[in-house]
Amino acid sequence: MKLYISGDMEGVAGVSSRQQVDARTPHPEYAIYRRYYTQEIAAAVEGARGAGATEVLVNDSHGPMRNLVFEELPEDVRVIFGNRKPYSMVQDVDATFVGAFFVGYHGAIGDENAVLCHTYTPSVIYEVRINGIVCSEATINAGLLGHFGVPLLMVSGDRTTVEGVQAQMPWVRGVIVKESIGSFATNSVSPQTARLFIREGAAAAFERASQAKPYRFEAPITLDVHLAKTEQADYIAVAPGFQRTGSRGIRFVAQDFPTVFKAFVAAFRLGAMA
Amino acid sequence: MKLFISADMEGTAGVCSWAQVDPANVSEYPVYRRYMIRELAAAIEGARAAEACDVTIRDSHWNQTNVLWDELPADVRAITGAPSPWSMNDGIDASFGGAFFTGYHGAIGAENATLAHTYSPDSIYSVSVNGVRCSEAILNAAMLGYHGVPLLLVTGDRTIVEETTRMMPWVTGAIVEESIGYYAVNSLAPAAARALIRDRAQTAIAGAKDARPFTFEPPFELVIETAHTGNADFIELLPGFERLSGRTLRYACDDYALAFRAFLTSMRLGGAANAPA
Repeated sequence: MKLYISGDMEGVAGVSSRQQVDARTPHPEYAIYRRYYTQEIAAAVEGARGAGATEVLVNDSHGPMRNLVFEELPEDVRVIFGNRKPYSMVQDVDATFVGAFFVGYHGAIGDENAVLCHTYTPSVIYEVRINGIVCSEATINAGLLGHFGVPLLMVSGDRTTVEGVQAQMPWVRGVIVKESIGSFATNSVSPQTARLFIREGAAAAFERASQAKPYRFEAPITLDVHLAKTEQADYIAVAPGFQRTGSRGIRFVAQDFPTVFKAFVAAFRLGAMA
Repeated sequence: MKLFISADMEGTAGVCSWAQVDPANVSEYPVYRRYMIRELAAAIEGARAAEACDVTIRDSHWNQTNVLWDELPADVRAITGAPSPWSMNDGIDASFGGAFFTGYHGAIGAENATLAHTYSPDSIYSVSVNGVRCSEAILNAAMLGYHGVPLLLVTGDRTIVEETTRMMPWVTGAIVEESIGYYAVNSLAPAAARALIRDRAQTAIAGAKDARPFTFEPPFELVIETAHTGNADFIELLPGFERLSGRTLRYACDDYALAFRAFLTSMRLGGAANAPA
């Protein structure tokens, strides 16, 4: 019974500022919160193991994607490190997984009351829609899981994120560790309590895995991205296969989700060059 | 006739170092920028000695804002600024009777080619179309050819001029310097270079009726070798690209304009991989 975990950091209990999650600019806050982040992942692993999970693969999905502190993790998990992965936050998912957890997730860019909300790259991405549906990272990533027939079982984060995911995927078990007050403040449970909640939620979610459904987008799949700036659209519109839908809008259409996912990653990386 | 001129800088007489062509350089660049634009002005003068020409310049070097208007005739248009959809080729359409490439340089990897590169040395190790290793001159001549416009004149070092005229025998060349490796040249003086360019430009326009648009035969196969595997990791994300090896990618299509866009995008996206991970 294989479990996939994608771990992000903004939705970890107590996180309310960029300094706490900025891995590139050394700050004492980050050292503290990367430990809380790892402990929440460990709690999810523990809960799932109690409910029958055997193999666990953890994809570190935040920033440079090498945040996990090994001494806080169980020894029998595998970890994916590094941020240059074609499938980014959902690298190495395949049909052998029973289900997946998203731990420490955050709201989509533009969500109200969603601490540190963004969708992949806030300097480039103003809004993402797939087949007309406004997507958070959780939506996009669940779409790739769904392509492989793997259901999302649990999400943890602030109320906005959890309720946003459940509105799209009602079968997902939610673990709300904090309430967001705008973009830079939260009312949070303590890290200890968050771990308890996550452990319980993970166990319950894994037990009910058979009732969860893969989240799939119907083909043809249309990706619409609104860019932060026109010059980013200028760059992306030159890429073969992309259409310009407006001064700050680009569109990409394909029959399969992995192609759409990779095009999305290419688009935000290219946009960042403009 | 309507004349299109793509103006680059590395193939300007006397240029042998990045300091001379880097717009951030405050001592050497301003001097060589003026020489670059004067060579461009000499090409226009020569062209107009043969025939009245309506001139559009595409500033094609670095940030593409090198023109010095006070060195140019008042009746020319210039396309400046980067990035743009077609880079060195913005503004080309079928209304042009011919084109000049001034100040051009060798393809990346060419021997004895000063400051040789093909768009971006940070990401492009080599680029070929239908098995032909391409310089910027070839890639851009094929964009001209796509619109039915022939290349008439190329100016630069011996390496780029001879390679271009070998491939397109109807093109007139003006060799202003001999490259000694990558960072040294044996050059004409700027004044002599201008006289040569003026003369060769006149010849090129006078012989324009014998020139042909340069085209590759469809289907087009673009093969890119990247500087390092990280560049290729990013480019592989693009729809339609196939990874052939650690540093090699392939893109196939039936439309050269699309192949060119694929090249431009891969150069830009590949460059994104050079930032720290």
